[in-house]
Amino acid sequence: MFKVLKTLCIGALTVSAAATAAHAEWPKDRPIEIVVAFAPGGSTDVMARAMQPFLEKELGAKTVIVNKPGASGEIAYTYLSQAKPDGYTFSFINTPGYLSMQVQRKLRYDPKSIQAVARIVDDPTAYVVKADSPIKSLKDLIAQAKAKPGSVSVGTSGVGTDDHLAMILLEQAAGVTLTHVPFPGAGETRTALLGGHITTGGLNVSEFAGGDLSTIRPLVTFGDKRSPEAPDVPTAKEEGFEVFMSSERGLAARRDIPADIRAKFSEAVKRVVESPEFKEEAKKLALPLAYLSGEEWEQQMPKRLQSFQDIWNKTPWVQ
Amino acid sequence: MEFFDSLILGFSTAVTPTNLLFCLIGALLGTLIGVLPGIGPTATLAILLPITFFLPPLAALIMLAGIFYGAQYGGSTTAILVNLPGEASSVVTAIDGYQMAKQGRAGAALAIAALGSFFAGTVSTIGLAVAGPTLAGFALSFGPAEYFSLTIFGLLCATILASGSVIKAIGMIGIGLLLGWVGTDVNSGSERLTFGAVELFDGIEFVVIAVGLFGIAEIIVNLETPESRGLIATKITSLWPTRDDFRKAWPAVLRGTGLGTFLGILPGGGATLSAFSAYTLEKKVSRNPKEFGRGAIQGVAGPEAANNAGAQSSFIPLLTLGIPSNAVMAMLLGAMTIHGITPGPSVMHNQPDLFWGLIASMWIGNLMLLVINLPLIGLWVKLLTVPYRLLYPAILVFCCVGVYSVSNRAFDVALAVGFGFLGYLFRKAKCEPGPLLLGFVLGPLLETNLRRAMLISQGSPSVFIERPISLALLIASAALFVLLLVPAIRKTREEAFVEEEA
Repeated sequence: MFKVLKTLCIGALTVSAAATAAHAEWPKDRPIEIVVAFAPGGSTDVMARAMQPFLEKELGAKTVIVNKPGASGEIAYTYLSQAKPDGYTFSFINTPGYLSMQVQRKLRYDPKSIQAVARIVDDPTAYVVKADSPIKSLKDLIAQAKAKPGSVSVGTSGVGTDDHLAMILLEQAAGVTLTHVPFPGAGETRTALLGGHITTGGLNVSEFAGGDLSTIRPLVTFGDKRSPEAPDVPTAKEEGFEVFMSSERGLAARRDIPADIRAKFSEAVKRVVESPEFKEEAKKLALPLAYLSGEEWEQQMPKRLQSFQDIWNKTPWVQ
Repeated sequence: MEFFDSLILGFSTAVTPTNLLFCLIGALLGTLIGVLPGIGPTATLAILLPITFFLPPLAALIMLAGIFYGAQYGGSTTAILVNLPGEASSVVTAIDGYQMAKQGRAGAALAIAALGSFFAGTVSTIGLAVAGPTLAGFALSFGPAEYFSLTIFGLLCATILASGSVIKAIGMIGIGLLLGWVGTDVNSGSERLTFGAVELFDGIEFVVIAVGLFGIAEIIVNLETPESRGLIATKITSLWPTRDDFRKAWPAVLRGTGLGTFLGILPGGGATLSAFSAYTLEKKVSRNPKEFGRGAIQGVAGPEAANNAGAQSSFIPLLTLGIPSNAVMAMLLGAMTIHGITPGPSVMHNQPDLFWGLIASMWIGNLMLLVINLPLIGLWVKLLTVPYRLLYPAILVFCCVGVYSVSNRAFDVALAVGFGFLGYLFRKAKCEPGPLLLGFVLGPLLETNLRRAMLISQGSPSVFIERPISLALLIASAALFVLLLVPAIRKTREEAFVEEEA
């Protein structure tokens, strides 16, 4: 009996010693938590779950996806900022929400405590109309808004979202007044569009490209060049309006996690994004893949943040 | 006969061993999570979504769909037996079902619920097959103006639905409306009644309020009177409905099926709205409205048929237009996208085996559920003999797990407990929490659609009477309002209330 106990004790000691040793070997000893700031079933969640097996293979580690929906991501970002800086907690971040919330309200976390690790997707904002709409181009839309101010209603997936910000920029660029009709999400926008209740609706390219285009017709995208996923759709710039807007998705972590862990994780994401198998998956989801390293992505952010600040100073979108 | 060819294709796809197996797994899982209060189909689907990567697309969809309609069956079981609605859609089933159980007729209530659900499931599956595409087109014509008028109608129904005094019902609806305000305003983006709590930015979760007011409050009430109220003291006289029960129930099942099929198609509709509406309808058409709230079998049959019909027909906008009408459908949309299927009119043409296979599997699944549930009634009833002191900690745990799993937040659990105490106070004050829930759901709909309609019409209120569907709904609401005020009707309503009190 005593012998058994002794063996057990030695066994337990060995295991705990091994665990301590393995701790240094990120990330093999325990699963990495990946936070999704939105509800299960949303486009970020679907993307995260599609990536998960590939990322696990590249990292040689287990990952767990945790949904922390709420407050357009603030709950997840606050959670991330309070996690241990040990490289076991990452979160998806989504622009422009991640940046515009820094402009529009006092946050419960310090945005400087979070650092981007890798951008995965750059999904241009687009406006679509019902298939049988008389409006054939962005120019038509602007012409109608000029002829009858306020008659063009734009459905968006909410106040301060990329489609709403694109609308504000478009109003300024074209000197028109559009009627903003916010919906809780892209699904509702699409329904209202199909029912003919709004003139145009804001969707991202991934939300219509590769899908069924018998009922809706994309009018324009706000990318800096034509999207490979929707090559037939002109950009706003081509139509003569300097308006650029997209929704980016990527991963972030606390700024004070070890630099080598951040680099390793970012590299793993890069290999996933470049792998043919994942590209195949991404094609099914019509994801406009656009990897950037954390550093490259962060370099772009101050400029965008400043442009949101400028819009906010002229027309604050939240009263 | 293209339609029959399609159905044959559907059934031949659905009866392959793999698909049958996943249909059974889905139905069983659905029943289980339906029985467990608080753990809803949305959370379950979310947990299982990653597993479906490894399944063929059709098998995955069949299983996920099975969970959804299986939950409608299972949800009624706990509603009837322990007055704990497993799902939001079975809240009204609890009103009369629990009373029946108290009278020793739990078996009859469960059997009618299962049979009614099966009938409704069959009819709405056929409906989905025959009229899906056409009906979906009609749902699209429901714009903000129509939704506004429909909500007005719904709120008036909620007032009538309440069994207590009109004043208390209106008060409860008012509290529900207030709770519905909490969160970020969709139209302006500003925060309302959040008290700076980031957890309240998106408002209060329906599950939190429902579990608190119904689940936890019920437990507190039961603990007040030790070892008696939660359990049914009288012996169970029969496991099977009587001839008289059938005679009373079948017209209610027919009405519930019709109503549920229709309301399920509407975006934002679905099982819960269908069940609430069906209960109101049954109470209206009944010759003895006094029976309601005291074990009227129609009060079980109508809503049960309606919530199952609503659950099935909410697949119509998803499969034909790619529009999810509720959270569960949004999960299924996500699952389809993962498998590279874009829901929409093209699915029917490009992947007919998938479309019709899924529809056929729903009918097979409903049949399986009937076979699973009828023999199990005896087992569920046995559950009642478990002492309450053993039962309630288990129920509490499930409630907490369910609430937590909605957004993975402990805050929500604390909030649900708070609502539990509030619900207890409401019961002491003899205020029914049902209208509160409806006010909570309909309030935000009413507000956003009113503002949306006015935005689109550029401030002209005539939009509500210019559109025919909206006008019809407003006229119906006005008629309902007059009925509520007519002294004779009000009197009988109040008399009924006095008798209930006695």
